[in-house]
Amino acid sequence: MEALLQQLLNGLTLGSIYGLVALGLTLVYGILHVPNFAHGALYMVGAYVAYYVAGELGASYWLAMIAAAVIVAGLAVACERLVFHPLRNAPPIHDKIAAIGLLLFFEAVVQMYWGADFRRLEAPSNTIFHFAGLTLPAQRMLIIVAAFSLMGGLHLYLKKTLAGSTIIAMAQNREGAFLVGINANRVAMMTFAISGALAAVASTLFAPINLVYPAMGHLVLLKAFVIIILGGMGSIPGAIVGGLIIGFAEALGGFYISGDYKDVIAFALLVAILSIKPTGLFSQGVR
Amino acid sequence: MLKLERVDACYGSFKALDAIDMTIEAGELVVLLGANGAGKTTLFNTVSGLHRPSAGRINVAGRDVTGAKPSALVASGVVQCPEGRKLFPDMSVMKNLWLGGYVHRGDKRAMQKTLDDILAMFPILAEKKNEAAGSLSGGQQQMVAIGRALMGRPKLLLLDEPSLGLAPLIVKQVFETVAEINAAGTTVLLAEQNAYAALKIASRAYVIENGRLTIEGDRESMLGNEAVRKAYIGA
Repeated sequence: MEALLQQLLNGLTLGSIYGLVALGLTLVYGILHVPNFAHGALYMVGAYVAYYVAGELGASYWLAMIAAAVIVAGLAVACERLVFHPLRNAPPIHDKIAAIGLLLFFEAVVQMYWGADFRRLEAPSNTIFHFAGLTLPAQRMLIIVAAFSLMGGLHLYLKKTLAGSTIIAMAQNREGAFLVGINANRVAMMTFAISGALAAVASTLFAPINLVYPAMGHLVLLKAFVIIILGGMGSIPGAIVGGLIIGFAEALGGFYISGDYKDVIAFALLVAILSIKPTGLFSQGVR
Repeated sequence: MLKLERVDACYGSFKALDAIDMTIEAGELVVLLGANGAGKTTLFNTVSGLHRPSAGRINVAGRDVTGAKPSALVASGVVQCPEGRKLFPDMSVMKNLWLGGYVHRGDKRAMQKTLDDILAMFPILAEKKNEAAGSLSGGQQQMVAIGRALMGRPKLLLLDEPSLGLAPLIVKQVFETVAEINAAGTTVLLAEQNAYAALKIASRAYVIENGRLTIEGDRESMLGNEAVRKAYIGA
């Protein structure tokens, strides 16, 4: 019983990270119809920015997280302006190729500066909480709390503010949004900025547990795609629920079946769920 | 208020608008009559900036706005209430209306006042304000669409077939509302197939056929025009 609870807790940590990454991916897909393969690279760059600010400049972890969020948000906006915006009227395959190009570019630049070595970002606190026979390192606790606060904050932003509503309006009726005077470029930039910031915070949260290296975004990106396909492309609740499903499946599968198979489990689950519900769990786009 | 000079618009090699010349003075209510596919919606979308004209000039209130972005046009007072309404279906009625005032977001108090006026004009919307716009009946959705356009405080309101698909009683109500909006000082360009009802509230009308303006005249001459009666009034 304790083992199960412990794994559920671990699953919740993993699921929170996956959920944050998938949220950004699904927002960009749902609103701009760009499958952003470079999202994993933004995640990776976020971890390196945090590593640089905290590890090399010696600033605090929190400052590093803010720096990572701001810089990666800026980077994401630059990708939108310089790459995806000029391609908006091109056939969809061009977006995909450009996104993969960005992925390779970011990885190469990072590798040029820091090499391919594994690096470690220190956690802000090494306390480990014990209760009812469970152990919860402070960092995992932080991940869960931070991820859910961010998701809550994003929800409030999208539902309660006029600026946030423009993003949803664009997803629900593009022409209608133009006709009330919503600026498409502004929404596109805002969406990319949010998605970049979420990815950077996710990687800064996860980096003290999982090391920092140029290829760290690959598996996370693949899983984020699994999650948004599973949750329904473009669906915000789908991304969160999908993230948790994959997180729990990995933690439980890794423990009860075999740790070696934990990455396979996510994909097996995708095949299983899509064969029952081919449109995903929440298939109605960004709402 | 609005002046089009030899405006062309194309979809690929198909010319949807051909040398359109049109002038609308401030305060007028002008009707654009035409069958399906004649080019009414293209003309509206071209004026709204959704579709770029391939030739010609468009002037609004003396300013050249040819090729301007939709958001810039809405900000300068040209607001379209589109055919098919194009609401945000999963948002509440209130949210739809509020977004209609997006370009005036800096002035919340004025937005609230416009909203109050609109709710006074369509009391049913106040009742349904928290319901999803997509769940309303066609007539109510049309009111949301008109209300949303009015939230932009238009100087020139482009109304594209507001009576489409509505019950006759509702159509009458919609036309009365349009006349009221015009009487309150908003210049209106109204596209309609329902020619008789539209001409009753209009000061002038144009007829568009195959992308060309073919007939033009004031209400009386249009109602008396044999070709117009045959084609659009059916009497």
